[in-house]
Amino acid sequence: MRSILSLSILLSLGTATSSQAADAFVPVLVPVTGFLAVEGASQRDGALLALTNPPAGVKVRYDVSDTGTSPEVAVNAFARATGDGTAIAVVAPMLGTQMLALLPVALENKLPLLTISGTAAITQKGNPYVFRFFPDDATTKSAQVRFAIEQKHIKKPAIISQTDAYGQSGGAEIAKLLKQAGVEPAYQESVDVSVKDMSPIIAKAKAAGVDSLLLHLHGGSTALIVKAVAAAGLDWTIVSGSAISQPATVELLDPADLKGVCGETGSSPISAETPEIATFLADYTAKFKHAPDAFSLAQFDATSMLLKAMADGAKTPEDVTKALSSGKFKGLGMTYYSDGKGNMAHSAVVICYDGKSRIPAVAQHYDAPTP
Amino acid sequence: MLLAQLSLNALILGAAYALVAIGFVLILNATGAVNFAQGDLVMVGGFCGVGLAGYLPVSGLVLLPLVAVIMGLLGMAIALCAYFPLSRRPPEAMLISTIAVGIILQNGANLLFGPDAKAPPALLGNGDWRVGGLVLSQQGMAVLLVAILLVGSLQLVFSKTQLGRRLRATAQDRDVASALGIPVNTMIAATFGVGVALSGIAGLLLTHTFFVTPTDGGNYMLKAYIAVVLGGWGSLPGAVAGALLIAFFEVIFPSLPVVAPFLANVPGASEMFTQTASTIVFDCLVLVVLLFRPQGLFGEAMQVRP
Repeated sequence: MRSILSLSILLSLGTATSSQAADAFVPVLVPVTGFLAVEGASQRDGALLALTNPPAGVKVRYDVSDTGTSPEVAVNAFARATGDGTAIAVVAPMLGTQMLALLPVALENKLPLLTISGTAAITQKGNPYVFRFFPDDATTKSAQVRFAIEQKHIKKPAIISQTDAYGQSGGAEIAKLLKQAGVEPAYQESVDVSVKDMSPIIAKAKAAGVDSLLLHLHGGSTALIVKAVAAAGLDWTIVSGSAISQPATVELLDPADLKGVCGETGSSPISAETPEIATFLADYTAKFKHAPDAFSLAQFDATSMLLKAMADGAKTPEDVTKALSSGKFKGLGMTYYSDGKGNMAHSAVVICYDGKSRIPAVAQHYDAPTP
Repeated sequence: MLLAQLSLNALILGAAYALVAIGFVLILNATGAVNFAQGDLVMVGGFCGVGLAGYLPVSGLVLLPLVAVIMGLLGMAIALCAYFPLSRRPPEAMLISTIAVGIILQNGANLLFGPDAKAPPALLGNGDWRVGGLVLSQQGMAVLLVAILLVGSLQLVFSKTQLGRRLRATAQDRDVASALGIPVNTMIAATFGVGVALSGIAGLLLTHTFFVTPTDGGNYMLKAYIAVVLGGWGSLPGAVAGALLIAFFEVIFPSLPVVAPFLANVPGASEMFTQTASTIVFDCLVLVVLLFRPQGLFGEAMQVRP
């Protein structure tokens, strides 16, 4: 009841609509309230930056709806946004449970969904209308574990993951990859997002004799554990999940706390590796008054691929679906193409902090060979 | 030494939780209704510190009285808008109105500060003192000291002052208090002010270390509610004891195999002494306590005469 009321208020306040009814319509359905609000806002802003700067000749109309945290709110938002039959594609929420609920509806309406959800199952259902522009756990966790073993030479890692679906799938992937590499975790723990005091985890990891932490946590928990390790003066190698690449997470920590901390991510726009990404960083920061993260860039690239398809003549949802499933697009973060299941992103990077600033450097690229 | 360090951490956490629980009990006693916005008011206290720090680059200790005053005024405003218009309605009306207040606060914080986690300034500083192997964080010690001072001051006000006696009389029986000439509505508004100010202070104390996001309120609400149920519905010492128990369980239970190494050899220890399992075990213990002492640890056994 509480979340429904909350969402109703926000839905009425937080929408943005452009006005030209005859143009192609792209609903942006993203979670901008609830526990995924930070990431959802990044997704929204990435999409909006692309939609407000379409290629020459492309006219596009868009509308932002908050999907909150529940699947039914996402399905209702989808029904509202696509009810008049003018939508050509949908920027779909990054929350896996919402995506799973949207899959059958998208199939029924034959509407392509462009998402950055990391949930593996969404591209395992044989649905031809789903396109994921963020590397899945198999890609990012592989980068995380390979970097930890090959570059940091870890021997006795601890795996700390969140208790939710996100944490469980990532934690299991890390454990699987470590096993494949012949490395036995010295300690494993799952943490609820409400856990504030990380001292029990630190104490147990210390007692287990770990030399490193492999984290797969949301931003708040990641910041808490990095801070706790720094406060305890431990020199453990920390290779985190993508949360450590988010500017909002890094803002919570002193640069000194971050010394030597690394983490996987799809991309690191704040590192401005290329002139194109530097331009994106400047445009995004000027427009939204905060720095972009990997989710912003991924959704920007996804929406840009959609707009490119429209510029190349896609006029219907079927045209867009065909263009996305068979085309290749060189985005800012990587080159995107479908693996036949709708997985479009096949690269990851590992970033590291030097302890002097909150801007990480890209330490390693992990790219799948482009076909 | 590890046990001492963990106990200190738990004490600091519990002291801040206790302020939330006391604020909850004060309003509960004054109105007879559960304030479901109490957790969101902790969140607002944290954001209040973040917002004030944007204008006044001073330490958290200087911001603390400002946060207390602002939150106290907010508490009185909540009394005026969400309690008094419904005070003659069934208790469910107050329950719904405080849920609505919580939703408004949560979404208001989201609109004003955004969804990102934020941290207000430290009360004193971020350094540590090391005493005989114990690491005493400046922030942690300041939190403990402020909480002890506040709880002590409240105890003094309630037991030694005319205002305290009036507040207690109002909490015990509003009709009789009114008949004795006590301005009951003023007392209730003041109680809202004090209760909400305590939650706001707890927010400022907790969120420098643990950060604050607009959705954090539910978690604090749950802790306050369990602390009060466990300690004894309406009991101030019970609320403090309940809050400390929660904190000690959160910190000590998952660490037991390290504190008492023989436990590490117990079959299933690695699954039993986890953060997740500790929540399950704690809630089971709460149920056991309520089974044998339905009035809670410090509550008085009461029965309604047929």
